Amino acid sequence: MAKDLSKVRNIGISAHIDSGKTTLTERILFYTDRIHAIHEVRGKDGVGAKMDSMELEKERGITIQSAATYASWKDVEINIIDTPGHVDFTIEVERALRVLDGAILVLCSVGGVQSQSITVSRQMARYRVPRIAFVNKCDRTGANPTRVTEQLRDKLELNAHMMQLPIGLEGDFEGIVDLITMKAIYFDGDSGEILREEEIPADMAAEAEEKREALLEEISMFSEELMESLLEGGDIDPQLIYDAVRRGTLALEFTPVFVGSAYKNKGIQPLLDAVSSFLPCPTDVVNHALDLDNNEKEFPVTNDPDDKLIMLAFKLEDGRYGQLTYVRTYQGVLKKGDTVFNSRTGKKVKIGRLVRMHADEMEEIVSCGPGDIVALFGVDCASGDTFTADGISASMSSMHIPDPVISLAVIPVDNMAQNNMSKALNRFTKEDPTFRTYVDHETGETIISGMGELHLDVYIERMKREYSAAVDVGAPQVAYRETITLQAPFDYIHKKQTGGSGQYGRVAGYLEPLDEGEYEFVDEIVGGVIPREFIPSCDKGFQKSMAKGSLCGAAITGIRAVINDGNSHSVDSSDVAFQLAAQGAFKEAYMKASPVIMEPIMKVAVEGPTEFQGAVMGSLNQRRGMIIGTLEEGNYTVVEAEVPLSEMFGYSTTLRSLTQGKAEFTMEFATFKQVPKSVSEELVKKYQEERKND
Amino acid sequence: MGKEELIASNPLRMLGLDNKTEDGRQSLGLIMARAGLGKTAILVQIALDSMLRGNRVLHVAIGETIDKTRDRYDDILAKMIEDLSEETESDLSRRRMIMTFKENVFSRAMLEERLKDLIEQDVFKPDCLIIDGYDFDGNGRQAMEDLKQLMAELGISVIWFSAVSHRNDPRVSADGVPAPCHTIDDLFEVVLLINPQDSVMKLDILRCAYCELEPGTTLLLDPSTMLIKKS
Repeated sequence: MAKDLSKVRNIGISAHIDSGKTTLTERILFYTDRIHAIHEVRGKDGVGAKMDSMELEKERGITIQSAATYASWKDVEINIIDTPGHVDFTIEVERALRVLDGAILVLCSVGGVQSQSITVSRQMARYRVPRIAFVNKCDRTGANPTRVTEQLRDKLELNAHMMQLPIGLEGDFEGIVDLITMKAIYFDGDSGEILREEEIPADMAAEAEEKREALLEEISMFSEELMESLLEGGDIDPQLIYDAVRRGTLALEFTPVFVGSAYKNKGIQPLLDAVSSFLPCPTDVVNHALDLDNNEKEFPVTNDPDDKLIMLAFKLEDGRYGQLTYVRTYQGVLKKGDTVFNSRTGKKVKIGRLVRMHADEMEEIVSCGPGDIVALFGVDCASGDTFTADGISASMSSMHIPDPVISLAVIPVDNMAQNNMSKALNRFTKEDPTFRTYVDHETGETIISGMGELHLDVYIERMKREYSAAVDVGAPQVAYRETITLQAPFDYIHKKQTGGSGQYGRVAGYLEPLDEGEYEFVDEIVGGVIPREFIPSCDKGFQKSMAKGSLCGAAITGIRAVINDGNSHSVDSSDVAFQLAAQGAFKEAYMKASPVIMEPIMKVAVEGPTEFQGAVMGSLNQRRGMIIGTLEEGNYTVVEAEVPLSEMFGYSTTLRSLTQGKAEFTMEFATFKQVPKSVSEELVKKYQEERKND
Repeated sequence: MGKEELIASNPLRMLGLDNKTEDGRQSLGLIMARAGLGKTAILVQIALDSMLRGNRVLHVAIGETIDKTRDRYDDILAKMIEDLSEETESDLSRRRMIMTFKENVFSRAMLEERLKDLIEQDVFKPDCLIIDGYDFDGNGRQAMEDLKQLMAELGISVIWFSAVSHRNDPRVSADGVPAPCHTIDDLFEVVLLINPQDSVMKLDILRCAYCELEPGTTLLLDPSTMLIKKS
């Protein structure tokens, strides 16, 4: 019998670091009977929360990899992806958002909407993920869920409204008032597992009535029936309210806000009810695949188990059970033992084992269908690959993957470390498309690159811990780029005659800046002056030249190479000869095309007490930062700036000492910009000196 | 239209304000309209014109986000200049800073503190201030005079404000400046009013100390782009 998809929820839990996402997930697993005891994130019992399965995560108290897990609440199946809170791991968050249908945005009731929440919210908007908000930590000193709800409106521009009121706050936080049922709910038992429903405390009745009225007025715009019912007066059917909130949430026009304290076991079960009631099921969301037989034309997936299988591998993990590939199924059914096709490689893959993951434990299953998130064993693929059944050639729309902005050299200390490092790097690059590695042929060093210092730090630590690869690490380097700013012609003859068959090739044309994209090759050769078989050789030669620019040794991007003339020799022309001719031509034109160095610019947001605003702005200004703006919020202030990445090394230490540790910052890649002349001159000089010394 | 041409042909030239502020004298400008008619779009055009002429503009947005304010500039700039070069864009963004305040947080004292921070830290020294969302109902003549004094202290040449007029409030000054600014209109060198009439959006010049107007010229707003144009 086909599964009822209206009873499936694929959700993510996203938020700012330290908002308590992992604790919340732990409680969800407890209340849904997936685990039988509660462990804290940095618990004294040495077990650690269930979702932080990597040792490193447990030690740092942060979530790095988004482990997927499955739970069921009442009659609804919930697949949860616990996503990292640090912006350096944004690809994990983005991947999770790509495969999920809805999300819980967790906020700290003291810290409120912090910079990372803004980033995550922007990502959710990009993938049109409906969300509900959970204001956590209502037991903490300074807790103010009303203020947080206002911030959701002001800072994130969400139409956020509280669905519950807290009964007491800080140390007096006792329970919640549900504004739909108009009941007070208390959480009894050792772990808050027993729900006790009471009348609303008398001193809160008027406030609850007023807030409910405001809520109903707001959501009535999503339901004509509710609006009519309100106009008629009398009792309102709660189902009308649920339906209206759901409609508003799915349309991304309304964000219901729930309150609680995961740590104190309060408010979690109503939040699970909200996930079931207000977040979408797989059929509420339209996902698209690309038809590879029809010029990558987009078509909607059907969610129909009888259609041909389409599923996306969104995460790879190398754990103690071997390689795991997390997949989301969009249509069709996958059974144990089935053979599927990897649409990127065209290879057949046999599915030996199929499991449902529960953090680092698993449950064997025999099949999965539309909307399911499960894991496959022993499948060789890369993150982002699409698997399909025979007879359908489709790929799920590609994900936006940013280019790395920072790199560093890793040097293994001995042969064993060398082997282990290779294994580790091979794994990491498959797991994480923003983590890249290559060997610098001039220095022979292995270079790793990624999205930030912490991003690379974590992989180096994992290399050491999980693969016993002892490595020395070089200083972090900014991933500069070179590009040209003018059009420049070339006309180059490569000629070598040293006895025997020689080499001959002439290429002429021009290089010019390319507005969008990294490289384009245009063949305007007429009359066969360069034989057809050597045209790809020219293309290859240009591409080879772009690996390393002559200004500072950075990769060259943004170039269109056009060939419109040339010559060949019936005997001496060859693939190699034309490749070398193209390389010579590139070299000839490159310096005439007014090349420049580009550097990664980061969007930096520093958040802290108002008294430090001047000092923070000064510190960003000194780092060649351009202050975009400031946001004043009473005692708190946010400074947003664009700062070159090269100037941000060690900023956390500077900021800590400037602000007595009271401010924090996040940064994410914004764009590449041309470096100022003085910096360019310095980089060129440094590169020339390095080359002299080699 | 290119940058130079745009500066020369900008209808804002006829207000004459820029010539009069170059000698170090301070001026105040005001855009009034009922809610939702496009005051911010006018302020942004005034700011962009000032930036194109080489000035630095601090845009103070009360009750608005940084991103939204920034998007306004990007939108209007794209409409004003075709084929905007990366260099011009980068130059302009260096000449602008956005400072946002929550409605109940903004005060003259706080603005002064922030401005002094910016100037002392050598982060940004504005020539022109745009204050969008200032509460004229809650602040009177003295507050405005205080701000004028602050301008003189900090060497700011011009401040442009926006103010909301209300359809139901009939009070106007002798020059036709509506409430809530009717009692302090003498403090402003220029007052403009967005005046929608049938299908035309007029920009009435209610006060203009330095205007160089040819008779019969009025300013209009293109309703699709909200760009200012001459009649």
